[in-house]
Parts: sequence; structure tokens; C-alpha cells
Amino acid sequence: MASNWQTVVTERQMGERRKFAASLSMEQAATWMVLVPVAFFFVYPLWKLMALSVKTDTGLGFAHFAEVLTHARTWDAVGHTITAAGASTIISLVIGVSLAWLCAYTDIRWKPAFHVLALLPLLIPSYVMTLAWTQLAGPQGVINRAASWLAGTPVEIWSVYGLDGIIVVMGLTHYPLVYMLTLSVLYRIPKELEWAAHSSGASALTVFRNVTLPLALPGIAGGGLLAFISGLDNFGIPAFLGIPENISVLSTLIYEEVIGFGPSAFAKAAVLSIVLGVVALAGTGVQWLLLRKSRVDQTSAEDKSIRRYLGAKRGWVELGVWGFMLVTGVLPLLSMAATAFVKAYGLPFIAENLTWKHFAFVLFDHAGTRDAIRNSLMLASLTGILCVLAGTWFAYWRVNRPSFTGKIMEGAVALPYALPGMVLGLAMILTWLEPIPGWQPGLYGTVWLILIAYVTRFLILQVKSSTVSIMQVGKEVEEAARINGGGFWTRWGKILVPLYAPGMATGLFLVFLTAFTELTLSSLLWTSGAETIGVVIFGFEQAGSTTYSTALSTLIVAAILLLLTAGGLWKRYWQRRVEQ
Amino acid sequence: MNSARVAGVSKKFGSVTALHNLDLQIGQGEFVALLGPSGCGKTTLLRLLAGFESPTNGEIWINHERVADAAGRKPPEERRIGMVFQSFALWPHLNVYENVAFPLRHQKQVPDAYKKDPRARVGQMLEMVGLGGMEERFPSQLSGGQKQRVALARAIVFNPTLLLMDEPLSSLDAELRMQMRKEIQYIHRELGTSIVYVTHDQSEALGMADKIVVMKDGRVEQAGTPQEIYYAPESLFVAKFVGRSNFLKGSWSNPHTFLLEKAGGQTQPISVSRDYASFHAHRVLPVRPDQLKLKAWHPGMDGVVGKVTHVQFQGRELLYSIQVGEEEWEVVSDVNERFSYDEQVLVEVHV
Repeated sequence: MASNWQTVVTERQMGERRKFAASLSMEQAATWMVLVPVAFFFVYPLWKLMALSVKTDTGLGFAHFAEVLTHARTWDAVGHTITAAGASTIISLVIGVSLAWLCAYTDIRWKPAFHVLALLPLLIPSYVMTLAWTQLAGPQGVINRAASWLAGTPVEIWSVYGLDGIIVVMGLTHYPLVYMLTLSVLYRIPKELEWAAHSSGASALTVFRNVTLPLALPGIAGGGLLAFISGLDNFGIPAFLGIPENISVLSTLIYEEVIGFGPSAFAKAAVLSIVLGVVALAGTGVQWLLLRKSRVDQTSAEDKSIRRYLGAKRGWVELGVWGFMLVTGVLPLLSMAATAFVKAYGLPFIAENLTWKHFAFVLFDHAGTRDAIRNSLMLASLTGILCVLAGTWFAYWRVNRPSFTGKIMEGAVALPYALPGMVLGLAMILTWLEPIPGWQPGLYGTVWLILIAYVTRFLILQVKSSTVSIMQVGKEVEEAARINGGGFWTRWGKILVPLYAPGMATGLFLVFLTAFTELTLSSLLWTSGAETIGVVIFGFEQAGSTTYSTALSTLIVAAILLLLTAGGLWKRYWQRRVEQ
Repeated sequence: MNSARVAGVSKKFGSVTALHNLDLQIGQGEFVALLGPSGCGKTTLLRLLAGFESPTNGEIWINHERVADAAGRKPPEERRIGMVFQSFALWPHLNVYENVAFPLRHQKQVPDAYKKDPRARVGQMLEMVGLGGMEERFPSQLSGGQKQRVALARAIVFNPTLLLMDEPLSSLDAELRMQMRKEIQYIHRELGTSIVYVTHDQSEALGMADKIVVMKDGRVEQAGTPQEIYYAPESLFVAKFVGRSNFLKGSWSNPHTFLLEKAGGQTQPISVSRDYASFHAHRVLPVRPDQLKLKAWHPGMDGVVGKVTHVQFQGRELLYSIQVGEEEWEVVSDVNERFSYDEQVLVEVHV
């Protein structure tokens, strides 16, 4: 019997044997094709950073550490950094948890609009929001002018400049992080657990304190830590509110060190970066552990039914919440737009003082701005495209071939995002001046270095959102295409890309938006001709051209809102098509 | 003639061996059910046939072509096999027509007539599975049973010579499962395609298959017709896993006579008509509940005597539990003669 079978082996089939053999080693090649770039782009720069910090004139040693860490200014900055991040986290926690509870559990109305408004501070770049706050609560801002008008003499109730301003704006910028993580945990707490407590005689307050809060704690703590890490990372807020008052945090100190180009500036900046990086990574580590602990909750289904009826108090609660969000989210932006429309900074906002000319200037007359808009559009588009391709491919590989190597590599890809932007920016300069000894690609000082830095930093955003879609779609759908004759291109073109589209589009959208308005990395890496929008706004503000910086920022906010609307409409269309 | 053949195939995942040196033949037009508990390797075997996995050792042949061996494999998209997945695996962004027409555009060797007029062919297939006129619906608008029919239509639309089914009915409710069994049998009859059907449900395997392959721990435990598997199990595992079995305790005096142990050290000889060699060492005789007959017992009668401990009315039959010595036997009998709880009965063994 077996010999009969052997006789039908033709030459053609023997030839295919070689093709078979090739397919196996292809899998190993694929692993290496992921491993090598990941190590080079994501891990090597941090190695360079560490190497520089311990390199001295005489060899290896901790001389730079000794110098930097004995400097009083360093410890001032460390103190400010911890204070700002810590105090702002408390603000974020109070606001984020309250809003999440209201949205998840109570019967307040207009929840979709509520949700969007609560996320708004995260979607608008923090330096734009800060600029908006200077127009609302700066010495010449709306609040102080209104107070002066009421008092009849110039008075200053509160100025947003200084450490207290940094704390408030940071807290208001980062509360959406706490809100989002808490919201998803609250939805997943089975309501039977709360009912059981109620039926055992517990009051509403007791139930909240003894059941809801402990169960939601992993999410709350995770959100709080994320807000804390974002506070360490943030450059825009302390740069706009601290530098004019001569208050430094670590991120602005690194910036000033590198820009100052003093002797051994890079080495000193590297030491500061390592200090900041270690604190941030420790925070990320704790956050990761907390979220891992709460994974049990992630598997249970979301329950979005109303659990608490506010009754007669509902109207008051709504008034308070909407009032709060409008004052902290919308009013600053309106104040900023108002500044952009007046002829000269400081004039009252009345019809005869209004003009379009600042918008016209930044859009058409100022060459630097035009170039910056072009650069930012180009950078954001290319970063988006590269990330959506590489990130989806990486996510696909990760989901379909789960392995320990894959886990480590995902950690490596996440590293540049977990590290403060300033730290990564410095590592990028150090790496790409001379990536391999003897090879100087001449990227430093061009937009291409910014592009590499963006892809390195934002790739993880795309990986995460593509992963969600790939896991949801599952493997069988692709296998069904394979068994029915679908080759590689058919599979990806007709089946996988359309089905992965939501995750791919969400990631693309997020990466594009983040890169388009990025400030931290580009503030370190820009040179003349390679400015970005963030750099130009920062430059206008430092030069005191407030009308121009507010005009450009207002345009950016309008563009973001337009993009968000378009994204929302597309998502609705897609859902209607597939889910019907 | 064989449609597919598995020769000496082993499959290892890391240090775990899922299949041990396995041989299997699937004849032309044969309906083969791979039956076994979860983790027995049946799904791995199906995935090897489909081409989603490579064998660690051995060869796989489909339609006289070697498609896989230890060196590598021909990818699934080139094997021209129909397959029905457990989760249906319909493409949610394509409508029913586009789902079913996909293989017509992409499979190898699709008859020209189908390629020229895919609308007609898809329409014909949908009629066959009872979904005529549903071309424009999207999967999300279909019920579970309808989805399974679309999946079936997609798997057979290009006239495959081999159709693989991976627990296709396990996500349907009981009534639909019975309905779909008939449809699968109908399609098998109409098309004459060879089918490899993976299931852990013995009644599906017994009801539809020409041949059942019972698997356990990556090995074939027994292969045969449903009748052979049911009435002539060759191992304790098969006797237990397929249908219910009573294991009567005793000893074998010779291959044709089983000496049943009775109370007080007595034995009752039972003559058997087939070979029970694999049970000799275990000192048991496997007996199906319907191979036992109950009779009214009167004082002084000789034979195996038991006491009724439970009676369950099942509609057209009665299910008894009979206490015989230390053992409890299950007996199925028709409803004509009824014994009640605690009654003494005479049990006859017909094997």
C-alpha cells in the first residue's frame, strides 16, 4: 500500500519540498526581523544615554553624577517636580473619581456629551491648554481684569504663573486619565455585589466606602499613578508657567541644560535624565503591577445600567458638573480665542478692537509658521503611516505567536513612551549623532530625526489599539480565508484590514493627533527649518508675541475639534455597516 | 481509493506530544467522525489535514499528493479543502453572497461554469441549505442556525473533494443540532464529498458517520463503523466513552464464556458471541443497557437476581437501575412490562 503511494510522488512534488523547508526558517527569520529593529530603535538609545552619563575624561566613573547631584538647583528641580506631580495627582484623583462615579452610576443626563467634555483636556495639547489658562487667569487674564473692573482699581486675585498654577493646570489636564481608568473599572463591578451589601442593611455611604471603593481601587490607583507619571513627563505646563518665574522642574532643567550647550551639557543632562527616568519607570512599574492585579475585573462584562437615582438633587448635580467642566475646560479656550481676536494685547474685547489679522499673519505672512505647519503635517502623517504599518504588524505577530520573547519586546517598545519625553529626546540626539561608531548619518538637525523620535515614542499607542481589534476579530476568520484559497494579499486586503480597521484607525488617529501637536521632543530636536507647530507657539510665547501664539493655538484647537468630529462620524458609519 | 491519508504522523507542541505516530485513511466519499474528549488530539489532527500546522513526523496525503511531512507543508490556501469552523468564522463585513462567493474567486480549480456565473452557483447553494434569497443579508442579521448554514454553503460551493468540520454544531441549541444533522447528512449524500467531522458528541458521530475514529491522548483508540464501535468496543475507554456501559465483574474461563461473580462466591456462566480479548485482563464484561433484559422473578428461579432501585420513564423506554449484589447496573427496556421500585427481578445478559 505504502509503495503505491510512493510511486505517485512526482518531480514537481519533490521540488516543492524545498519550498516547504524555506517556510519553516521563514518563521525564525520573522522573529529576528522583529527582534533586531526593536533592540536597535528602542533599547539601544537608552543604553547610549546611560553610557554617556558615566563617561568621563579619564574613563568610566560617577563624576557627572557627583557634580549634578551636589548642585542645589538639581534638588530644587527634584523638589518642584515631585511637588507638582504629586499635588496635581491629588487634584486629578478627586475630579476624576467623582466624574467617573457620576457618569458610571447615576442618572445624570447627556452622558455622551459629558464624556467627550471630560476627555477634552487630554485631546488638546497641554501647552495649548496652559496658554489658554494664562489668558484666563494670568495677570492680564479675564479673571483679574474682571476683578479689577469690579473693584475699580487694578487688583490681582490669583495668577496662574508659578508652582501653584503648574499644580492646578496639571491636575486639570491629567484628570481624564483617572476618569477613564476608574470608569472602566466601575462599569465592571457586578451590581449584585452592591445589592448584596444593601440587602444586608448597609447605607449608600457604607456601600460606597466598603464595597465600591475597594473594588475600584486598582483602577483608581492605576489612573492616579498614570497622572503622576504624566506630571513628571510634562514639559509644556512648567515651560509656560515656570520658566518666566524662574521655577525649574526636571524636564525644563534638562531642556535648559541641552539648549544652553555649556561644557559637558549633554553629560549633565544625561544624569538628570536618568534621575527622572528612574522615578518615572518606578511609577510605571507600580502601575503595571496594580493593573495586573485588577485583570480579574477586566474579564467581566461591562454593565452600563443606572445604579443610583439622584432624584430631586439631579438638577443641582448637573449644574455643578457642567459648570465645572465649562469653567475649567471651555472658558480658558474661549479666553484664548478672545485674545487672538483683539488688535493689540491688553485691549478690551469690544467690536471695534476685533480683527482677523493675527490669524492671517500666522497662516500666510509668517514663513516660520507656514513651514512649521507643513513640517508638523508631514511628520504627523508619516509617523501615523509608519506606526499603523509597523504597529499593526507587531501586534499581529504578538497575538498570533505568543511567546516570552514577544512579551519582552512589547515592553521594549513601550519603554520610550513610559520614559519622559525629554529623556527620550536626549537619548535620540546621543544615538543618532553617530549610531554606529564611524557612521554619521547626518540626521541630527533635520526633521528626519524628529520623525524617528516620534515613531519610537508613539509606536506603542498603535500597537495597543491594533492589539484590541486583532484579539476581538480572532484567528478563525483568517483561517477561513486561508482554507478558501485566500493568499497573503487577499487575506490582508479583503479580510483582515477591513476587520482590524477600528483598532488601526483609532491608533492612527491617536498617533497623528499626538504627533501633530507634539512639543517636548521637538523642542529638543528642532533646528531652524525643522520647526514644528509646538515649537513655533512656544517661540511666540517666549518672545512675548501672545496674540500670535493664541491665534495659532486657536487654529490648532479648531483643527483638533474638526478631526475629532470627523473621526466620530466615521466610527459611527463603520459600526452601522458591520454591526447593523 | 483514498481521499486523504495520514501516515505515521506525530505532532509535538514544545514538550507536549499531541499526536503519537498516528495512521488514518479517509476513503472517497467517506464520512469519518473523529470522536474523543477534549485534549485527545482530534482538533490537532484536523488542523494538520487543513494545513494550519505542520507534522513533527510522518506524512499527510490528500488526493494522491503529499501535502505535508516533517520538512514542511503546503499552505492551506493551496490545498483546496472545504472547512466549517466551530465559531462559523463568517466575515462580518461581507454579506452572505460575498461570503459564499469568496471561494469561487480564490480557490484552485473551480469549475468554469461556477466562475462565469457565481450568482447562479451561490443562489443554488443557498437554496440547498435553505437560505434562498438571503444573499444581501449581513452575518449580524442572521440567527445562529442561519450562520451555520452560510458557513456550510461557503465550504461546499466550489465542490471540494474533502470537507473538514470542526465541532460545527457545538454552538447551536439542542433542537437546531438535530435539524442540522439531517442537513449535513443530506449534503453528504448529494455531493458525495469525503467528510472529516470532529466532535466530542457521541450521538452526532453514531448518527451520521460511516466510520468513527475514537481518539484518546493523541492515539487512535478504535476505528470502525458506528455499529462496531457501539456493540463491539475494544477497550474500556471506548466502552465507557461511547454510549453507557455496565462493567460486569467476574472472570473469563475461556474466550467464549464469562463467569459472572454472584453473591456468596457463586458464579453464573455467560456465553459470548464475539471476541472480548482486550477485557480479559480487566476481568470484566462490558454490557450496554439495552443488552440486558429484565424478567419477573419468582421464588425458586435460578439466574442473576437484582432489585429495582430507580425507575425513570423516558417516553418510549424505561431506564432502570438494578442493584445486583454490590453493583448497580443500568438497564433500558421498553414500556410494555413495568417493574416498580424495590421489586425483585431476573436479569438476563444477551451479548
